[in-house]
Amino acid sequence: MNSVALFLEYSAVGIASGGIYALIALGIVVIFKSSRTFNFAMGEMMMLSAYFFYTAAVTFSMGIFFGVVAALIGSVAVSLLIERFALRPMMGRPFIAIVMVTFGIGSIIRGVVGMIWGPNDLQIPAILSRSPVLLGSIFIPGKTARAFAIAVVIVISLIAFLRYSRAGIALRAAAADQITAYSMGIDVRRVIAFSWVIAAVTGCISGILMANVNTLTPHLGLVALNVLSVVILGGMNSIGGVLVAGFIIGWLESVTGWILGTEFREITPYILALLVLLVRPTGLFGTKEIERI
Amino acid sequence: MAAALEIRDLAVVYQGVIQALTNLSLRVPEGSIVALLGANGAGKTTTLKAVSGFLPLEDGRVTRGSITLGGQDILKLAPHMIVRRGIFHVREGRHIFSEMTVEENLIASTFAQRKSRPRKDAFDEVYNYFPILSQRRNQAAGYLSGGEQQMLAIGRALVADPEMILLDEPSLGLAPLIVQEIFEIVAQINREKKVSILLVEQNAVIALKYASYGYVIENGRTVMAGSTEELSANEDIQKFYLGVETERAA
Ligand SMILES: Nc1ncnc2c1ncn2[C@@H]1O[C@H](COP(=O)(O)OP(=O)(O)OP(=O)(O)O)[C@@H](O)[C@H]1O
Ligand SMILES: [Mg+2]
Repeated sequence: MNSVALFLEYSAVGIASGGIYALIALGIVVIFKSSRTFNFAMGEMMMLSAYFFYTAAVTFSMGIFFGVVAALIGSVAVSLLIERFALRPMMGRPFIAIVMVTFGIGSIIRGVVGMIWGPNDLQIPAILSRSPVLLGSIFIPGKTARAFAIAVVIVISLIAFLRYSRAGIALRAAAADQITAYSMGIDVRRVIAFSWVIAAVTGCISGILMANVNTLTPHLGLVALNVLSVVILGGMNSIGGVLVAGFIIGWLESVTGWILGTEFREITPYILALLVLLVRPTGLFGTKEIERI
Repeated sequence: MAAALEIRDLAVVYQGVIQALTNLSLRVPEGSIVALLGANGAGKTTTLKAVSGFLPLEDGRVTRGSITLGGQDILKLAPHMIVRRGIFHVREGRHIFSEMTVEENLIASTFAQRKSRPRKDAFDEVYNYFPILSQRRNQAAGYLSGGEQQMLAIGRALVADPEMILLDEPSLGLAPLIVQEIFEIVAQINREKKVSILLVEQNAVIALKYASYGYVIENGRTVMAGSTEELSANEDIQKFYLGVETERAA
């Protein structure tokens, strides 16, 4: 195989992985928008959802469809509990204190999952077909390609929902100015809870997809640290930018891993994020306030 | 229908120590325009925030007194519930959502409507009172001029179909002609829709022109009250409020 073909193939695979990154990032950004909270537990919420799916689908033999439904319900419930009992009491506290709380919740989830399901890899039922997808002469692993398609469809639907629905407008209003949002009858606390529901959904889907592409372990959520860089790169407050940034990071990871070796793969997103932050502190797609008095 | 707002002996502290209001009383009868005058820091905005329930959001607290709407206590209600009772607070500085379009700003305000279904003709009504907003409906609100932003802020109140609007310094930073135009429309809204208005203004001349009754507050307490004719004829008012204005105009 010549190197152009290899480059194209690594690029395609990379962009395909970026779909899941964008999905995770969307969950992080939505919470950040509604409450200026950076949810470090996102990766663990995602991992826990995959265990919910495993338990429903395998342990209780509910099958794939009802397994996904059960996982979604479980994830939303956990997410709402976290919001209600860990984050809401922290309202108005310093940013760093709130971030530490989410960090702690992440560790607790990882610990509890290890206790319940054990540290070993589990095999979840294959949702995604293995049969590879050929784009011309480019070969993309079947699971990666299908995970990408699912992730992108969900990300785009959610972006459209947030853009055009009344609920989306309430979210943006609360994100822009809480007191004014309240003055217009918007219950900001409900909006924040709603953003945790969206994060639970994106986390759940991405968790199940990830466990399909790789395997299910308590470390599944570590990928969210890559997503951290996606979010910084995309600009914390831009929902649309997250999609593009997800693709860029996926692509970079794959291509640098190929050219420089897999050890570089892991650090590329961080280096890129740092460089972007130096040049543009609001991220690539973060918006500046339009100000006029 | 519209009901009177009554504030009695109100005291407010911020952060447990900053006494912003000490003893404030006022009444806004149904369908009226009442002006609230006072120097910078007198407590005008704080009074409005106490009514609309914003104080807890700014670490402020009512320590004494009562606020009732049509005889019902509204002091303990959350802000999003108070607006659904029919009191809409148009904040000082307008606070439009600059990154949303004009129409999205209006849609955001449908959460304040009392019926669960958004009222369809509400936007038409806003565009009728403020035709310029109709032309700009799909533009980011941040690009509106100051006067247009004030119109949008009032338009958002109209969407909620309120019984009363708390209007905080609508003239702030606007040219006299625009101020005049906005006050004419506010007066028209008051007449046609029977919306009562509690008007806070630094510009006492215009406030006394459009209001029928006024209160003057100093250091967090009501020091004077009367019909706008009485207030306009009062020597202290002429000296401290209207006098300042004529000097400024000169
Ligand atoms: N969020 C807050 N925290 C602490 N103190 C506050 C807060 N808001 C207002 N104050 C104080 O309360 C007092 C009254 O302020 P308020 O904003 O009600 O005055 P105002 O009459 O509206 O003045 P202006 O004409 O300048 O708008 C002032 O001394 C002010 O410093
Ligand atoms: Mg004020």
